[in-house]
Amino acid sequence: MQRAARIAIRSVRRFWSGLREWCGDSAYERYLRASGRQVADGRKLSAKEFYLEQINRRYSRPNRCC
Amino acid sequence: MKRAAKFILWLAVAITGAGALGGIALHRGEPLNATWFVVAAVCCYLVAYRLYSSFIAARLLALDDKRATPAEIHDDGRDFVPTNKWVLFGHHFAAIAGPGPLVGPTLAAQFGYLPGTLWLIVGAAAGGCVQDFIILFCSIRRDGKTLGQMAREEVSSRGGLIAQLAVLAIMVILLAVVALVVVNALKSSPWATFTLAMTIPIALLLGVYLRFLRPGRVLEASLFGVALVLFAVVAGQWVAESPAWSRAFTFGGVSLALMIIAYGFAAAVLPVWLLLAPRDYLSAFIKTGAIFSLAAGILFVRPQVLMPPLTRFIDGTGPVFAGKIFPFCFITIACGAVSGFHSLISSGTTPKMILRETQARFIGYGAMLLESFVGVMAMVAACAMPPGVYFAINSPSSIVGGTADAAAATISSWGYQLDGQTMTRLAQSVGEQTLLNRAGGAPSLAVGMAQIFSSTIGGERLLSIWYHFAIMFEALFILTVLDAGTRVGRFMVQELGGRVWKPFGRMGWMPAILLSSAIIVGAWGYFLYQGVVDPLGGINSLWPLFGISNQLLATVALVVATTILLKMKRLRWIWVTLAPTVWLVAVTMTASYQKIFDPSPALGFLSNANALAARIAAGQIPPAKIAEMQRLIFNQRLDAVVTGVLALMILILIAEALVQWYAILSGRREAVLHEAPYVETRWAADFTGVADGDD
Repeated sequence: MQRAARIAIRSVRRFWSGLREWCGDSAYERYLRASGRQVADGRKLSAKEFYLEQINRRYSRPNRCC
Repeated sequence: MKRAAKFILWLAVAITGAGALGGIALHRGEPLNATWFVVAAVCCYLVAYRLYSSFIAARLLALDDKRATPAEIHDDGRDFVPTNKWVLFGHHFAAIAGPGPLVGPTLAAQFGYLPGTLWLIVGAAAGGCVQDFIILFCSIRRDGKTLGQMAREEVSSRGGLIAQLAVLAIMVILLAVVALVVVNALKSSPWATFTLAMTIPIALLLGVYLRFLRPGRVLEASLFGVALVLFAVVAGQWVAESPAWSRAFTFGGVSLALMIIAYGFAAAVLPVWLLLAPRDYLSAFIKTGAIFSLAAGILFVRPQVLMPPLTRFIDGTGPVFAGKIFPFCFITIACGAVSGFHSLISSGTTPKMILRETQARFIGYGAMLLESFVGVMAMVAACAMPPGVYFAINSPSSIVGGTADAAAATISSWGYQLDGQTMTRLAQSVGEQTLLNRAGGAPSLAVGMAQIFSSTIGGERLLSIWYHFAIMFEALFILTVLDAGTRVGRFMVQELGGRVWKPFGRMGWMPAILLSSAIIVGAWGYFLYQGVVDPLGGINSLWPLFGISNQLLATVALVVATTILLKMKRLRWIWVTLAPTVWLVAVTMTASYQKIFDPSPALGFLSNANALAARIAAGQIPPAKIAEMQRLIFNQRLDAVVTGVLALMILILIAEALVQWYAILSGRREAVLHEAPYVETRWAADFTGVADGDD
């Protein structure tokens, strides 16, 4: 019974974290963890800057289909 | 023992699928239950995925999980983001799933349920999924390069330019035709117009919230927005019932077209955070929810399919669109089976986020199977209504007559019984003034969906709410395609224009932004206007034009894929991409030829123009209408030129590729692949990405 509850809780947590990632909710957290490029002055972007930069980039190439 | 059990299980799936497919194909007489369609489709998809996609992954592409993907090599949390495969599947599916697989099968139902359903299943498994999967693989191996870049590097520089122009052309025609679908769904419908209009202030509200109050908190904002949109659907009924408000939101086709053109321009010019992005969030949630609800509704209600397997219109005389089953069934279904547009997504965001090469099979091949399933559901929804009702909704008044009684008499004379009262009652029960002459697929799909949903929840009482929910769902994500497409089109125009005059290519320069937006909106707006005033309903001309351009883009993608496979020395398995390429060339070239030169005015653009010109010459047109008629003649000739230019571009690309293939096969040219250098992965074999990993 306890095992089933653990599995259920883990599944819900996975679903929730997947949903946040799918819709872009956790994109900024993911960016802060990423080891790659930062902005030119060597700092990480703020949440506002990141959001704007991300959507500007996303909607400048085909991202919705027929 | 375990192996034997697996073998028996897969054999059972294959036999069940073959049985269900055979049942659908050979069934005659009594109406068929929709469960057969679901079983046939799902079993065929499972077998295709298990056998064909694993063959492509292992033998043809030799996917290598030890090779690091672009997401690992360039991980920057912005463009290159290692993403869990289930999340990426959701991203990829949300990107590829548009109005095409809903509208195309609905229109193709005029041939009966059988040809469309078979092509949706077979075409996806052998064509569309293969294209999406292999282009995704090619892009992963090239650091996420686009289709145009790959065409330039692997085929020729001219091939790259052709691919870029083909993308722009398909974009213009796509935007025009989807806008026409929205116009036909909204005209004379204050309820639907109000609901859709309300999505604009709701999106603006969300945009401000996400920009200033809680940056990037998409989930909470979207859920709030979805609740407001659902409220707008209900409030639409109050608008429709109030004489003053109802008048304020009742528009004809031309007015709606002008409003949509103005909206498209605004969406392309305004900051993306204000309107475009929040609308897209709303649309993604509602689209996903509605598609899963439709699947659940079909399984719960198990409706009877009332449309016959084949109708009399396989001979090419159909009222919805003209043309015989070959090639127009395949051209009309388009995205539900093979979509060239998907190759832009497969060589866009997805290759930059994938964790492992082997996941390209699940994401590329698997997501397209799901898209095909959406097409099968749309076919079921369209075929679950009486055929007479289907033809009354989708036929233009110039063919069936403008009143319910006239339409019923014409359609009954075709052998599909209908009385005028049925259409009047149906329109009243879904809260509309009329459902006649609504070519475009959206209203008939909405009627089908509403009947399925209301049989699950609410019964007759909620039929009108469900109908307008379905219309809102279709129109909302069509407008999202419209504004996102217009913006991307603007960038393409600026990029191409920048080659001629440099300042035009500067993305932040306002005059260039305004001019390029006006060019792209003017281009699709012209085709939209032409469709709205077309006496044959517009869909008859524009949807085949869209299908042809989409399938031509798929040909470009498959030619690029074939060239790459040839360079990889996979000659033995080259038929995997070559066979669908040959098929698509045959379909698109036949369709292009017939649309331009067919002697029947209903089908051929030139013969239609000549027939109209002959009527003017014979004095059959009143002087007041001559200018309008001359515009129609010009439009028909323009459509012929556009079709011819598209076909010619693809023939040039094929000739370029054939020269390249011959040079490689004869040893005159060395096969040089432009893959990124091999880098071994540093990730553990069980690394599954962020979603269920380190969170």
